[in-house]
Amino acid sequence: MKKTLKKLMIGTLLVAFAAAGYGFYLFNKKPADVRVMSASYTLSADSLVNVYNQDEKAADKKFLNQVIEIKGTVSKVVLDSATKQATVMLSTNDPLSGVTCSFYDNEASQLKNIKSGAEISVKGVCTGKLMDVVLNKCSIQH
Amino acid sequence: MKKTLLIGLALFLFHGLKAQRYYTKTGIVTFHAGTTVEDIDGINKSTTSIFDVSTGEFDFALLVNGFEFRRALMQQHFNEDYLESDKYPKSTFKGKITNISSVNFSKDGTYPVQVKGTLTIHNISKEIEVPGTFIIKNGKVSGTSTFNVALADYNISIPSLVADKLSKTAKVVVNCDYSLLK
Repeated sequence: MKKTLKKLMIGTLLVAFAAAGYGFYLFNKKPADVRVMSASYTLSADSLVNVYNQDEKAADKKFLNQVIEIKGTVSKVVLDSATKQATVMLSTNDPLSGVTCSFYDNEASQLKNIKSGAEISVKGVCTGKLMDVVLNKCSIQH
Repeated sequence: MKKTLLIGLALFLFHGLKAQRYYTKTGIVTFHAGTTVEDIDGINKSTTSIFDVSTGEFDFALLVNGFEFRRALMQQHFNEDYLESDKYPKSTFKGKITNISSVNFSKDGTYPVQVKGTLTIHNISKEIEVPGTFIIKNGKVSGTSTFNVALADYNISIPSLVADKLSKTAKVVVNCDYSLLK
């Protein structure tokens, strides 16, 4: 009888430790690294902006918080090591909106040799549309 | 008669062209809402902002889902519980720089400004007035501002369980490098 009680207590303690450990793990868990995730959708900057221009709500339903891969023409590269800003703008056939791709700041070195007019593929998380459709946590796809 | 009309039109066009506007699509907005128990902060590097040098009109917009965090759960709670970013994906500020005439955009310097307008977070709009600074250096224009936002003002409720971790006011820091809109 005593033995069973002891076993039970040890069991309970183990479960409690495991739960606490899991809680600690969850608490400290880093956001997912998008660079190692595969894209749910692959499309051109033109079609992404087109889909958003047609129906923003529907586009959000499909793309918001999804990892997507976008192919397009670079119109501008913004690099600033002081503010850890590393962003590439992709132009589209809509003169008013393109795709803004905000890169992981430690991917900045990949952007140094990218010039306006270059065709590139970018993987990132879609966060919605302001003037441009905005992608976060981007990296270059080869 | 025709001539006056033409001159008028020319003047109008000239004036229209002269209306200088600056913009950015890569403005940085951070917020700090932690306490001594836990540091809670997020950063958004794709804030869009535009202002008009002659009228002082000043607009900001950002995607709430675009905030990045150091911890996964922080991001989840921020989007799902506090800001409900699926329902209210954007935060905006629409207003005026009330003393824009005191800024000389062609002369290097640091110019304090006052910004007044409507801040919309979590689908709640409030009138705010905050101080800001324009820094002109070698023809480059950047603007910064730091102000506090009371979470309760925007119907952001904090569960008692995390009340000691989350501050009741968030410190918001805005940092924008502007380019001339051509």
